[in-house]
Amino acid sequence: MKNSNQPMMKERFYPVRHIVLLALAIFWLIPIVWLLLCSFSTSNSMSISHFFPEKLSLIQYKNLLFKTDAANQFPRWMLNTFLIAAFNCLISTFFVLQVAYAMSKMRFRARKGLMNIGMILGLFPGFLSMIAVYFIMKTFNLTNSHIGMIIVYSASSGMGYLIAKGFFDTIPNSMCEAAKIDGASQNSIFFRIIIPMSKPIIVYTSISAFLAPWVDFIFAKIMLNSGIAKDWTVALGLYGMLDRSRKNLYFGQFCAGGVLVSIPISILFVVMQKFYVEGITSGSAKG
Amino acid sequence: MKGKFKQFLGSIGHYFSDFGAAVVHGDWSVKLSLVFMGAGYIRRRKYLYGVFLLAIEVFFILLAATFIAPNLAKFGTLGTVKAEMHFDDVLFTNVWNDFDNSFKILLYSIISLVAILIFALIWISSIKGAYSLQKMDEQGEKPPTIRDDISSAMNEKYYKTLLAVPVGGIVLFTIIPLIVMICIAFTSYDEQHMPPAALFTWVGWANFKQLFTTSLTSTFGYSFGKILRWTLVWAVLATFTNYFGGIMLAMLINNKRTRWKKMWRTCFIIAMAVPQFVTLLLVRNFFADQGIVNTICSNIGLTSLLKKIGLVPAYLNYIPFLTNPNWAKFMIIMINIWVGVPYLLLIATGILMNIPQDLYEAATIDGANSFQQFRKITMPYMLFVTGPYLINSVVQNINNFNVIYLLTNNVFETSDQLLANSHARETDLLVTWLFRLTNEYYNYKMASVIGIMVFVVCTVITLVAFNFVIRGNKEEGMQL
Repeated sequence: MKNSNQPMMKERFYPVRHIVLLALAIFWLIPIVWLLLCSFSTSNSMSISHFFPEKLSLIQYKNLLFKTDAANQFPRWMLNTFLIAAFNCLISTFFVLQVAYAMSKMRFRARKGLMNIGMILGLFPGFLSMIAVYFIMKTFNLTNSHIGMIIVYSASSGMGYLIAKGFFDTIPNSMCEAAKIDGASQNSIFFRIIIPMSKPIIVYTSISAFLAPWVDFIFAKIMLNSGIAKDWTVALGLYGMLDRSRKNLYFGQFCAGGVLVSIPISILFVVMQKFYVEGITSGSAKG
Repeated sequence: MKGKFKQFLGSIGHYFSDFGAAVVHGDWSVKLSLVFMGAGYIRRRKYLYGVFLLAIEVFFILLAATFIAPNLAKFGTLGTVKAEMHFDDVLFTNVWNDFDNSFKILLYSIISLVAILIFALIWISSIKGAYSLQKMDEQGEKPPTIRDDISSAMNEKYYKTLLAVPVGGIVLFTIIPLIVMICIAFTSYDEQHMPPAALFTWVGWANFKQLFTTSLTSTFGYSFGKILRWTLVWAVLATFTNYFGGIMLAMLINNKRTRWKKMWRTCFIIAMAVPQFVTLLLVRNFFADQGIVNTICSNIGLTSLLKKIGLVPAYLNYIPFLTNPNWAKFMIIMINIWVGVPYLLLIATGILMNIPQDLYEAATIDGANSFQQFRKITMPYMLFVTGPYLINSVVQNINNFNVIYLLTNNVFETSDQLLANSHARETDLLVTWLFRLTNEYYNYKMASVIGIMVFVVCTVITLVAFNFVIRGNKEEGMQL
């Protein structure tokens, strides 16, 4: 970090900083490498003596995908999670964009008040209300159902409008004014002008809404409590595989499952990455 | 702050004085609307609205008779008829009596109150609407047609169209549940009072008192103090280790002297691709008492070395990474660095690239060394851009359920009897304690009290931080 702006000596190689970086990178990659190695090992249980498995094979993947049983319904979990994620993505994106547009581009009396209420609600721990939501869903017989999960994930998604609002704030108001003079309604300004201009934030919002069910563990655990493996999402299912009684039978499959789940998530993440920083900084600075 | 509050009161005052004016100056049809909603609309030949409003009123009256009144009547006691089974001579089986379910009464009462509030708002606005129709009539203006109303819903009232459904979702699935849970903090809802088998009732502030007292029968006061302290320590440490770790790493990678920048960045970002729960569960097995790290540590002699220093108790032949309170806390922070730093790396990289380079050049000419540049240019800029994010992440870390729960659940057991009596553990945050109280011990009343305390803590932190750390106008705070 010394003299970071010295323009000279570009070609010199500085070994110390590269060794530090290499050490850090290894530290960060070890768990990932271990996950991969375990997923290709033949042993079902966790190896405690070898870091590298003695023999590499695809048996864990084969068992995971084709040998379903009471504790392993991986293909089913993927499908469940995908459906929940897809619907959540659709509904949440609409909700978020709607709220963000109203808060960013329109002026009305209750605007500030609603924004403050939203902020206060955000300070309550999320699953305090979850417990009551569980009972509400139970009275409508929607626990242990995927429709219930979709509702739980997407119903309150409008509260996460801040990042999108930050983005809309950067679109000049003069553009909307010009459209209004040309006779466009607010509705067509929203759909014809703002939405086509907001591709980055739509991608960001929809991908993060799509990812939520894949990585959420706690809401799924509260809502899907029947104990029937077929109902679960991926997160819940993989957690169940490492249950104390099952750990020694399913550890290999858990790792294989972890690898398989990571593939779509990392692809989406690479797409979203570009907008991630923009979202964090614009959303928070202008919130 | 005070001005805003006055403005708020003023707008509420306006709301009701408009309504009063409508009632006083309205003609017979507006006054009739007080009893028969929609009368004013029908008089002005807006039949569709009139009938619709009347239908709402009829629906509300039916709802009030069948749902609202019976539930609100029991709201004061939360039910008095205990569930009992008795033998029915006619059906020849055991049947349950017509018992009260305290939780349902509470939940339905809250829903009823919200329904009453919504109806009251519709009622008031219908009368205001009828009065404005009357005024238009008197001034000889044409009242708006349905087409006009649709066009206004797409234009100056478009925000209502946009917000209706999302706000409805928030009311139903966030606000009503929150009110219910806040109410539960004032009831006796716990394992011994579980509906439907048993009733619970209002107990006032007793649960709050219990949270702050330590006695022979209850150790909540002791546990609360201990866990609150660890929660705050955790929130501050987790936030700042990640924050500065991320900035340092970003500066290290983005420095001109570093080669293969893209490759280094990718190495760290790969760690984000694997879902948190997978890595956390994996790492927890990694560091298990009989896990692979312990095997390696004992092979290279680290275990016996730590024993000699006294960091590992002599009677153990492994390092209690996640089973000893102090080790576990240390490991949790370390693992959280592993989890969180890549995110900060991403954010910091983006922001660092935006810092105008001429600032550094000017500083170099003025003879500032790199540490001074870091302290006077990089940090102020970072703090300015990420200030709100930083406060937000302290709050988020107070509520950071995943890391603690996934790393310690089923692994860490407390040996502190006082903590165990109130079902707490040394590594617990307030939220994981709350979760265990509900999920394993059905102690909903104390869980709700703890939830409210979390809210209080988060609110205090947010208010203090926003008032003292980020002063003045955000847009003009940073003059470069």
